[in-house]
Amino acid sequence: MPILQINSLSKNFATQKAVNNISLSIDKGQIFGLLGPNGAGKTTLIRMITGIFYPDQGEILFDGKPFDPINDIAHIGYMPEERGLYKKMKIGEQALYLAQLKGLSKSDATSKIKEWFTRFDMESWWNKKVEDLSKGMSQKLQFVTTVLHNPKLIILDEPFSGLDPVNANLIRDEIYRLAKEGATIIFSTHRMEQVEEICDHIVLVNKGEKILDGTVNEVKQDFKENLFKVTFTNELLAEHLAIHLFEVKEKKNNSIVIQRNEGFTNNDVIQYFINKGLSIESFNEILPSLNQIFIKLVEGTPTARQFNN
Amino acid sequence: MNKTILIIKREFLTRVRKRTFIISTLLFPLLYLGLIFGMGYIGEKSKSILKIAVIDSSGLLDQGRVERANAADASSQLKLITDSANAVISNFSDRGYDGYLVLPAGATVENGLDKLTLHTSRTLGSAAEVQMKLGSILNEIKYEKLGIDEAKRKALSSQLTIKPQNVNDEKANSGVASTIGLVSGFLIYFILLIYGSQVMMGVMEEKTNRIAEVMVSSVKPFQLMLGKIVGIGLVAFTQFILWIAFIFIIYNATKATGGAEGSTINSMVGGVQEVFTSLNLPLLIGSFGFYFMGGFFFYSSLYAAIGSAVNEDMREAQSLSFPVTMLVIFAIMLMTVAIKDPTSPLAVWASIIPFTSPIVMMARIPFGVPGTVQIWELALSVAMLIIGFAFTTWFAGKIYRTGILMYGKKPSWKEMIKWAFRK
Repeated sequence: MPILQINSLSKNFATQKAVNNISLSIDKGQIFGLLGPNGAGKTTLIRMITGIFYPDQGEILFDGKPFDPINDIAHIGYMPEERGLYKKMKIGEQALYLAQLKGLSKSDATSKIKEWFTRFDMESWWNKKVEDLSKGMSQKLQFVTTVLHNPKLIILDEPFSGLDPVNANLIRDEIYRLAKEGATIIFSTHRMEQVEEICDHIVLVNKGEKILDGTVNEVKQDFKENLFKVTFTNELLAEHLAIHLFEVKEKKNNSIVIQRNEGFTNNDVIQYFINKGLSIESFNEILPSLNQIFIKLVEGTPTARQFNN
Repeated sequence: MNKTILIIKREFLTRVRKRTFIISTLLFPLLYLGLIFGMGYIGEKSKSILKIAVIDSSGLLDQGRVERANAADASSQLKLITDSANAVISNFSDRGYDGYLVLPAGATVENGLDKLTLHTSRTLGSAAEVQMKLGSILNEIKYEKLGIDEAKRKALSSQLTIKPQNVNDEKANSGVASTIGLVSGFLIYFILLIYGSQVMMGVMEEKTNRIAEVMVSSVKPFQLMLGKIVGIGLVAFTQFILWIAFIFIIYNATKATGGAEGSTINSMVGGVQEVFTSLNLPLLIGSFGFYFMGGFFFYSSLYAAIGSAVNEDMREAQSLSFPVTMLVIFAIMLMTVAIKDPTSPLAVWASIIPFTSPIVMMARIPFGVPGTVQIWELALSVAMLIIGFAFTTWFAGKIYRTGILMYGKKPSWKEMIKWAFRK
């Protein structure tokens, strides 16, 4: 059963359609990528899911029931892109305050905070003030305050922005762990390369509309161009390549990139090379990156130009 | 509702625990008392006797008359100089004079004395004092010349005293009433401005720290705003109660130590007692509490709306809050008018309209209810203020909801009003 189902959701601001008739469904335990360039409507969509905005049209089902912001937000952890903490507050108090606002009792919150602080080596921070923390440290704290109340749905908007690789990995590992423990994660970003490895399922939005929906693998299969990289142990000669099976896209001394023509199989190609007396070292399919797919989808629009750079 | 209480608690505790709160709470009454006593002390000290050399070239005056005049009023001393006039003129201060005055040669009581010059470094008030004393000496000479003796002089002068009596409330002592009115009006004025801007800065803090969106994903924006306003309102209230407690302690302490009969402290204590017995204290305190809270809610929600609309730039906030601050200042101007004539239509309406009522009504109430302030006026004013702050809180909540998530350009008042009426 999906934890979150969105049906024909729309939200308009004065002059523009921020979110236009978007439907999607997210299964329990999934790591879900919400992708799109800046200004695509990701944040507006998330704000509707977190009950900050009311949709103009459409419905949101949370855990099978119509979304009820007042009660359901206790089961949602949201780390917005514009995030921060009260600078003058002590770290422990801050975490406690945010956890209590999510409905945890004081004692529950305290023990959970201690647990998380131990996991992240933050035990000694309790009485420090937020303003004394480095950026990476406060990002860690921010993450802890987001997931402290064991939310069923965790929404992270650009979670890695401003994080160094060490902390980014730490957070990434936590995301995997939380998903394994049954939490669902929505991961919103405009950096497509970040999600390829993490996400099970992605949705691409542009200008308020959904333009792609599927698993990372499905999407790549759908958009693959039958490109292969073949490397050989012996040198490649021009006469080897005059063939109707494929077109050569790129050629080096002992490797080529080819595009297989319609109507043939990989075996046909490999067979051909073997017959020519070439010894194949590797034969790999080149799948398009999400970034390339996105550019292809929005080709010719200003968004594509922005992403080509 | 539980969440609002959590927010109130945080807003209250973080402020009350701050060192600046403790210092300002302790220091303000000390500074205030210091100012009052300090000014009294300086005033007392600077009251040295004015010494003026009167260089009489006309020969009108004689030592006896001057001496008698000095004896009658010891606050200034005139010294008649008949010889070495030039030496006195060139360095009067070395000789212990504060200034000198020349009566020209050939002047008579009737002629030539209407315009004299007092050469002095103490210009403030000294001329009037010398003028009075010299005038009385000259009058004496004139009386003698005209043959008017002591008895006739008494018959000529009339003694007249006029005391105002409040027609609306016979018990009300207008002096006491206007002082109490002025003090409470000013207190509310200060609270509105100081704590109103604290609310504004608190909201701005949430924006600059980028925590606003984190918060509104847990609580409704309205709860966040209300929690902040109530929390800061309680801080103001706490500070206030502490001050009243201090005053009470100081008052009782001075009363207990007593001091010499007829000393300033004793007469002050007596004065305070007299004031308290002549006023309807429960009504005064009750209405102060109401107008304090009502005015605070009314204005601080507007300040909260402004805080939510601007970015971290303090100047933006100032320019946007200027119209609101002007309203508060306008109220204090109306208050000074209302104290002079508490039943004028201007005073009545200013004390009913919620923009000015917290300050103006508080200034009118000490004059007496019902008397100066009719019951219907008070009831209407209370009702209007409740409607008023319900409206501003609602209105501000709408702006706040949009503004708190907006970064970038500063919106105009027009745009903010548009936000308020958007679904």
